[in-house]
Amino acid sequence: MAEKAILFDATKCTACRGCQVACKQWNGNDEYIPTEPNGVKASNRGSYENPPDLSPSTWLKIRFTEVESGGRVRWLFTRQACMHCTDAACVRVCPNGSLYHNGLGFVEYNKDTCTGCGYCVDACPFQVPRSTRSLLTGIAKMDKCTLCTTQGLNRLDDGMEPACVKTCPPGALQFGNRDEMVAAGRERVGTLKTMGWSGANLYGENELNGLHVMYVLDDYPAVYGLPAAPRVEGVTRAWKNVIQPLGWAVGGLTIIGLGMNWLVARTNAKKEAK
Amino acid sequence: MTHHEVEKYRTPVRVLHWIHAGSFVILFLTGLVLFIPGLAFLAEDSWTRLIHRIFAAIFVVAPVIYIILNPKSMARGLKLAFSWGKDDMGWLKAAPGYYFQGYEEGMPPQDSMNTGQKMWWLMVIVFGVIFVITGAIMWFAKTAAPPAVLQWMVFIHDISFIATGTMFFLHIYLGVFHPLMTESWNAMASGKISKEYAKAHHARWYAEISKDKE
Repeated sequence: MAEKAILFDATKCTACRGCQVACKQWNGNDEYIPTEPNGVKASNRGSYENPPDLSPSTWLKIRFTEVESGGRVRWLFTRQACMHCTDAACVRVCPNGSLYHNGLGFVEYNKDTCTGCGYCVDACPFQVPRSTRSLLTGIAKMDKCTLCTTQGLNRLDDGMEPACVKTCPPGALQFGNRDEMVAAGRERVGTLKTMGWSGANLYGENELNGLHVMYVLDDYPAVYGLPAAPRVEGVTRAWKNVIQPLGWAVGGLTIIGLGMNWLVARTNAKKEAK
Repeated sequence: MTHHEVEKYRTPVRVLHWIHAGSFVILFLTGLVLFIPGLAFLAEDSWTRLIHRIFAAIFVVAPVIYIILNPKSMARGLKLAFSWGKDDMGWLKAAPGYYFQGYEEGMPPQDSMNTGQKMWWLMVIVFGVIFVITGAIMWFAKTAAPPAVLQWMVFIHDISFIATGTMFFLHIYLGVFHPLMTESWNAMASGKISKEYAKAHHARWYAEISKDKE
C-alpha cells in the first residue's frame, strides 16, 4: 500500500482553527469544561491560541507564534499534532506494541492494550502524546492523533480524507500519496523561493526518515517552533534495543549458571556422603 | 531453642526480611510484565502499576519502621555492609571451589554474614535507595520533571532491576536449593541454626557469641 501523508502549507493557513473543531467533532473529543484533571482549560492569555496545549482530548491545535523581523511583526501559524514519524520514538519505547505503524505509514495505537506507562509521552521529540493520569494511582491512558484511522471512526477506510483536511477552508491541508505530497511541497517551496522567501523549506521530507505530516514553511523550522533536527534520543532507543535484551540475557545466563552449579554441587555432595 | 542451636536472626529482622522480600517479589513481577510483551496484557488499564505502587510503599515503609524501632540493630547491619577485609578477598578466591566442588579448605572464617551475603546486603542497600529515588521521581514528578529526566529514571530503574533481579535468583538459590546451604533457610525461617552449621559457616561470628556467653 502506498504511504499516505498530510501536507500542511503554513503560508496558506489563516488560523481559523476549523481543523481543531473538525478533529474534536469527528473523534468525539469534547474538551473538559470546566476543567477536569488532565484537561487543558481554555483561558485568555493574550493570544487567540486556544486551548493552550495539546491534551488527551485535544489531538490537534494551531500554534500561534509572533516573530519580529525587519521591524514588523509576523504572525505565524503551525499545525501541532502527531507527525506520524517513520522512525517513531513512541513506537520504539512502547513496551507491549500498543503503538505501531499501519500500512499507510501512520502511527496507530491500540488504546485497549495501552498500559499507560507514559514512556511515549516522554520520548516524543514533538511532545505529542498526552495521557490522562492519576498521579496517585498511576492509572493512565495515552491518546493522540490517529490520522483518522481510529477503529470505528476510520475515515480513510471509507475513502474519505482526514477530518482536518476535509474542513480546511484555505486549502492549507492536503492529503494524498506521500510521494505526491512531497512533490507538491517541493513545488510550493520553489514558488516561495522565487517570491523571495530564501529560508523556505519542506519540513518532514527526511526528518526521522520521513514524517507523514509535512510542512511547507516560508522560514526556518525553529521560527515556527519546530525542532530543527528532531531525533530519537539514545536513552529512548536503549529500552528495547539494550535493556530488554540485556535483561533476558543476564537473567537467562544466571538461571543457567545456577542450574549448572546445582548439578555439579549435588553430584559432589553425594560423593562426599558415600 | 534446644542447646544444640543458636539464634541467627531475631524476630524483628526476620519480619523485616519477609515483608521486604515479599514486596520485592511483587514489585519484581509487576515490573517484569513490561519486559515480556506476551504478559503485557496484565499491565493493561494500569493495574500492575497500581499494585506496584502499593507494594512500593510497603517496600519503603517497612525498613523505615525497622530503623525507628531498632536503630542500633540497623546501625550494626549498616556497619557490617561496609566492613570489608582480607578474609573477604580470601572468600572470593575460595568461593568457586567451595560452591561447586565443596572444598572447604580455602574458606576463611566468616562473620554472621559471609562475603557473599554481605555483597547481596550491600546491593539491597545501594539499589534499594536507587529504586526509591528513581521510582519516586517517576511517581510524583511524572508531569513536572523534564521528559529527558524521566527517561533516564526509567533507564536507571531498569538497570537496577536487572542487577537485583538476577542476584535475587542467586539469593533464593543459595537460601533454598544449594546442596551445602542446609540450614540457611532455617536461619531466616525459624531464626535458629545448629551450632555445627554456625561453626562451619560463620566461624568468626560463632566464636564471638560463644565468648560473650562465657
